[in-house]
This record gives sequence, C-alpha cells and structure tokens, in this order.
Amino acid sequence: MERPDRGKDTRLLKNQPYDESLEVIDSEEVTSVYSPTPRSRRQSESRRSRRGRGLMSANSGSDEFDDDHAPLRANEVSGGQPGVGPHEEDEEEEEEDEEEEDSDEDDSDDDDEPSKAPEGAYDPADYANLPVSTEIKELFQYITRYTPQSVELEHSLKPFIPDFIPAVGDIDAFLKVPRPDGKVDSLGLLVLDEPSVKQSDPTVLSLWLSEETKQHGAAELKKVTSVASPQSNPRAVDSWVDSISALHRSKPPASVQYSRAMPDIDSLMQEWPAELEEQLGRLQLPPARLNCSPAQYADIICSLLDIPVHGSRIQSLHLLFSLYLEFRDSQHFTRRA
Amino acid sequence: MILSRMKPAVGGETPATISEKKKKNKTKVPRLEEYLQQRDYLGALTLLEFQRSIGEKEEHADLWIGYCAFHLGDYKRAMEEYKSLTSKPECPEQVWVYLACALFFLGLYKEAEDAASKAPMSPLQNRLLFHLAHKFNDEKKLMGFHQNLEDVTEDQLSLASIHYMRSHYQEAIDIYKRLLLQNRDFLALKVYVALCYYKLDYYDVSQEVLAVYLQSMPDSTIALNLKACNHFRLYNGKAAEAELKNLIDISSCSFEFAKELIRHNLVVFRGGEGALQVLPPLIDVIPEARLNLVIYYLRQDDVQESYNLIQDLVPSTPQEYILKGVVNAALGQEIGSRDHLKIAQQFFQLVGGSASECDTIPGRQCMASCFFLLRQFEDVLIYLNSVKGYFYNDDTFNFNYAQAKAALGNYKEAEEVFLLIQSEKIKNDYVYLSWLARCYIMNQKGRLAWELYLRMGTSSDSFSLLQLIANDCYKMGQFYYAAKAFDALEKLDPGSNYWEGKRGACVGVFQLILANKESKETLKEVVLLLQNSGNPQVEYILRALRKWAKDNRVLLS
Repeated sequence: MERPDRGKDTRLLKNQPYDESLEVIDSEEVTSVYSPTPRSRRQSESRRSRRGRGLMSANSGSDEFDDDHAPLRANEVSGGQPGVGPHEEDEEEEEEDEEEEDSDEDDSDDDDEPSKAPEGAYDPADYANLPVSTEIKELFQYITRYTPQSVELEHSLKPFIPDFIPAVGDIDAFLKVPRPDGKVDSLGLLVLDEPSVKQSDPTVLSLWLSEETKQHGAAELKKVTSVASPQSNPRAVDSWVDSISALHRSKPPASVQYSRAMPDIDSLMQEWPAELEEQLGRLQLPPARLNCSPAQYADIICSLLDIPVHGSRIQSLHLLFSLYLEFRDSQHFTRRA
Repeated sequence: MILSRMKPAVGGETPATISEKKKKNKTKVPRLEEYLQQRDYLGALTLLEFQRSIGEKEEHADLWIGYCAFHLGDYKRAMEEYKSLTSKPECPEQVWVYLACALFFLGLYKEAEDAASKAPMSPLQNRLLFHLAHKFNDEKKLMGFHQNLEDVTEDQLSLASIHYMRSHYQEAIDIYKRLLLQNRDFLALKVYVALCYYKLDYYDVSQEVLAVYLQSMPDSTIALNLKACNHFRLYNGKAAEAELKNLIDISSCSFEFAKELIRHNLVVFRGGEGALQVLPPLIDVIPEARLNLVIYYLRQDDVQESYNLIQDLVPSTPQEYILKGVVNAALGQEIGSRDHLKIAQQFFQLVGGSASECDTIPGRQCMASCFFLLRQFEDVLIYLNSVKGYFYNDDTFNFNYAQAKAALGNYKEAEEVFLLIQSEKIKNDYVYLSWLARCYIMNQKGRLAWELYLRMGTSSDSFSLLQLIANDCYKMGQFYYAAKAFDALEKLDPGSNYWEGKRGACVGVFQLILANKESKETLKEVVLLLQNSGNPQVEYILRALRKWAKDNRVLLS
C-alpha cells in the first residue's frame, strides 16, 4: 500500500531543504507517539525512509492537491493518519546519544505503541458515509490535504532539591589527651567526651575564688566580659546579675568596730516597757517631716531606740540601720506584719 | 554550696547536686577533681589559672590546662599550651602527640603529622596517624596504621569512627555492638550506634538507642542535637527546633561547645531562615554548611551562586553527588549547556545505581532525573512510580511526573497530575502551559487549551502555544479551536502561510456540524473566520457553506 507512495517521496525529496542533514536524526523523531505504523515494518525501515516519510507529510501542500489529487489522496487517507509521519523540525540532539537512544526508543515503542495512539484522533473514515453532496465531499478533501505538524514540546527537569541537611557531627575517634595524672577518665566510654552544659562563668568564679582565699588583687586583673547586644540576650545579663548578687550575699556583712561601747542588737530588740508600749498606741512616733534638722531628727530617733550617740552620729546610725535590717529580715516580725 | 550559687541561675534555683552537698562540710575552695567530674572544664581552667596567679600550683598544672582546654573543645588554647610546653627543655615527649591531637582538631593536618612524628610510638600516636592517613586519602599508609591497631577498646573505637567517616556504617555498628556486649556500662557507645543508624536513615531506631543514653545523661549536647536531627527527619523542623531550644535553655551562657553546630542546625530546622548570616562563616568548619548554602541558593533560584559554591567540591558522600548533580542539571538547563547536563546525568546515575542509595528515595529521584535528562521517560516513570507515595503534593515531583506521563502519551493521568501543581512559578512556565495544553487537547478539551492561550500575554511563548493548539487540535479533530488558532496565527504572523491549516480546520468544523458533533450555530463563526483570510479559495468554500446553510435553513448572519 505504501510502496508507491514511498517511491514518490524519495523523488520529491531531492530538492527539499533538509535532505542533506540526514545523519542528524534525533530520538524524538523515532518516538513518534502518534504513529500507528506496525512495529515490524518500522524496524525494517531504514532511517532514511522514515525521514522521507516525515518530509512527505510535512510537505504535502496545496499544489500537490491541485496537481495530482485523487491517487495521492487515497493513499494518504489509508496509510497516512494525521500525524503519522515523524517531523523534521527537531534536528538538534546529541549525536553520541543517538545510536543507543534509537534502539532504546525502538524497544519502548514496542511495548506501548498500541496504547500510545491517541484516543479520539481525527479519522476521516468516521465521516466517509455522511449523506452529503459531491460538492461537499470535495470540500471535505481539504481536511486531509493539510497534515498537522507535530509540534515538539520541550521538557524541563525540575531538579529534586534535597532537604536541608542537619549536622550531627562525627563519632569520637579516640584521639584524645589523657589525664596528666594517668588516671582513667572514661571519657567517650561511660559518658560522651563533651563538656557539661553547665560551665562556670570564669569571671564570677575568679571573684569567688579571690573571696574565699582572701587573695584579692589576683582576680582584679580578670576582665569583666561584656554582652554584645544585651537587648537580644537578656539571659546573659540576668545570669551575670544573679551570680554577682549571689556573690555579694555570701560575703559576711561589713563589720564595723565601734570606737565606744554600743549595746548589742539583741538587747536593742527587747520589748519596750509596757508603759511605753501603751503610750505608743495612742501617740504617734515623731514623723520625718518634723520641723528640725536631720541631725536633730537622728538624735531623737536614736534616743527613742536606746542607741547612744557619742560625738559623731555615724556609728550610731550604723547601729540604727543594722537594727532596722535585723527587724526587716526577722521571720518572726515579717510574719506578724 | 559555693558552687551552686556560683553557677549562673537559669530558670530559678539550680538544685544542688550530690557532689555539691558533699562539699558543704569540706573546704570551701573547690578542688580540681570536682570540676573535672562534672566536666566543668571552664571552671577547672579558671581554678587552675587562679592557682597559677597566686603562685599555688597543682602538679603538672600546664598539662592540666591543656587537658581541660582540649576536652572543653578549645583546641586553639590547648594547642598554645602544648606548644609552649614543647619549647621547654624538660618537656615530656608525649606532649608532642597531645599537640598533634589539638592540631588535628584545628584542621591543621600537616602540622599535626609533623608533631606526631616527634612523639614516641604509642597507641594514641598510631590512631592519630591512622586518621591523618584517612584525611590525606593515603590508602597505603592507612592500611599500615590499620594493621598496628590492636584489639583494645580505644583502637577499635577509633577504627569504628573511620568506618563511620567512610560511610561504612554497618561495620561501625558491628564494632560498637561487640564492645557493648563486653562492657554493658559503655553507654556512650549507644550514642555512636544511634549516630550510625541516623546516617543509615533509620531514624526511629536511632531514636530508640539514643533514649538509653539520654535517660542517664539528659543534658548531653551531642545526644540532644542528634535527637533534634532525628525529629527533623521523622517529623518536621518545628519539632527539631523545640529540642534544640531545650538544649539552649539548659546550657549556661559560658557554654561554647558545639555552639556553631547548634546555630547551623537552627538554620536547617527553620527552613533556611538566616542562612546567609549564619552559614558562610561556617563553610569548611561544618561540612554540611556549604551544602546547605547551596540548597538555600537553589531554593532561591540562584543557580549561578549555588554553582559557584559547589563547583570545586570533590564529591564523596551521596549527598554531595546528588547536590552536584542537581546544580549541574539546573545550570545546564538554564544556560543550555550539554556539558553540565552530561555531568548531572552521570552523577545521578552514580548515586542512583549505588548499592547504598539505590533503594532510598533520593536514590530513586536520582535515577528518575538521570533518565529524564536522557529523555527515557519509560524509565523515568518506573522510578517515579516507586516513590510517588511520598510526594503526593510535591510540585516538583508532580511537574516531572506529569511530563513523563505526557511524553508517553498518558495524557489523562498527566493532566490530573499537572493540575495538582500549586506553584505559580511552575504554572507560568511555558513547559507547564504547553504540556497541559497538549493534555487538554489529547483529552478532547480543546476549549481549556484555548483558555490557557487567552490567559497568556502576547509573547513568543503564546505564539508557540497557538501553533500547538492549531496543530494538535487539528490532529484530534477539534477543528473549531484549530480554526480559531490558525486564524489568530494568521493575524499575528501575516507573512507566513496558515491558509491550508485554516482551510482544513474550517471545513473540519463544517464536517462536524454535518455529523451533528458541533452545533449549527458555529457555522456563523466559521464564515467569519474564513472571511478574515484573503485567499481566493475562500469564496469557493463560502459558496458551498452558504448553499448548505440555505438548504438547511441555518442563519449565517
């Protein structure tokens, strides 16, 4: 059926624009998914003839229609479904891949060619029996005169970008320094050889050490670290403040040697005589707004609390505030208040 | 007592530990041993320095300082300490190998080798040289030092770590399991086993083994970080970040160990947030940092930048091969370079065909990518089908999958998959539009293809799409849209001859009308389309159409 057709093609080919580029056949050409051509025949065909067929369908133009309609048309209707032919506009493809791909594609064609013929492709035979006039029948021939081109679409592999990769580190290789005293440290065996998450703050620790050993001066050389951006790192600031106030709390309160004998705190904390207690219930203590100088006011309060004032009031005031702290920190009184 | 106060208080009072309580009744100045027992090396260092400053010296104070700095992870400090020791005449010879160890961890391999060569022979020296040979890729030396390894715990563990670094995880696990059978209390080995399982992608097994260690050491940095990584693989970045947050919260401010690792992983768990700030300085410090930065650039579509970062990397792990493949594939397609595509295809094949990766999801993706680049879509589908359960809503996967289906003529399924894609970027890609249009047409939905064209702006792509619609619709007997497309082409490109196609398509519509497959009203539009053309044949065809219309009482105007 196709024989005469093919012969004619070869003749037509002679003056075609692409006939010299025969060696550049590309894989897509072979994969013609629309091809209903049976496998066996395709295999026997040379590439050349396949190309020829492609050119034929692409070049069947209107002038052919005018020149030699009837016989050619019959052939096309039976042998050339729309899109049968591979097409010519895909010259560029790797030559080296060509050979293997050709065979690969042939193999795969083998497997699924039946399923590959697009369902519902136009088939003029479906309409051959329409009850129409000869004029319209003639008109219908225009449909098969044009063979639609196979438009090759590009593929684009969207690469599978891997997930981000977390780092877990390497395994202990036992390239480690042993203890200088030769004892076994079991690091990397009983426990991982990693520092504990709780590390002492060097600055705070040296302050502690100088405090404990009374070796002041040594630690003062130590620089106090600064926090780069305190607003974004409140933890560092807080932890510094906490450790320093802890340090201060642990220090004994500064002791003062009074130059003259002073009553001890415990005696000052004794209850007042009942008489005085009773008076205090009715009378107000002298308020801070009292119209007198601070020095006088200090004298009043000290005498009220049985704190002697010898010359300078400094030592008396120290005792006064110590007394205040004692009351403030006394659990007995806080609970009552 | 003193210690508990001295530690920066985090989240309220730190409960006093047993060792601290014991100290209560003893001397107030802590002893070095107490710090070492708690692995508070910073505290130990401070104590040693304090003692040094007040002239009260521990025996071998310098060596102790080196030891503490080393185990703190402050290798630079350790190196300095040992260096100054080696310059002294009375320096013990062993110090050279300690110096070599510090240099090794600083990445100064050549210097480490020099220092190690000055030390007397010892198992530690042999282990170090063994690892150096691995770093230098010197197989011959590696074998030599391997033979010197003895069947003692340290040497065996060192060998296992080489297995791990060479991705021979099963061999490493075998060693650990054997040692664990002999020494049940070597709990750290559990973590090593967990690390191996992590690398083997057995995240839940890893998690199980790890839990044993965490039970006794709940605040281990390495273990908690691994737990976070397992969570990342098993669940998501949020779960992983929560674990790391926990680690950050329990560690004191002065804790510097693994800080870089944690910063690095936070970027990973946050999906690349802060990558540009955090990762560049970590390149060549943490091996994954470079890869992650490449991934970050790829996700930002900055293919060139990702290529710059990875082009000089000699791949050795599957991840590196994959990433090099991906970058070359992306770049090759972007600039149309066959060389890059060839490299990509080879790397994909190498990973996908390897024994360790052939059954992993990335391995399957590699094979699919390789065949995709070779345009062997049959094979692409085999591989993609094998993993598609994991990628139901993945746009990248669906885009490639649908293209492969369409290339093989499975237009129905291809259309469904194309329509699952959400990414606007892909949906505006001409490859997507053209293949979807083809699927529509092959599935007899020419109208939808035509609508795709209508939604596109005028461009060379929309012109190409018209040609596709015109010819594919013609092929499929959807002559109405073929005619419209040819008509549009005629207008856009008056120089070319679309008449034949348009003529056939218009007559095709007429044929469909006669076959009752197209409404008679359409004829009116066909007449208009024909009138747009100046070809002399128009009149002849119109005459025939008008005659039929008159005979069949169809209004044409």
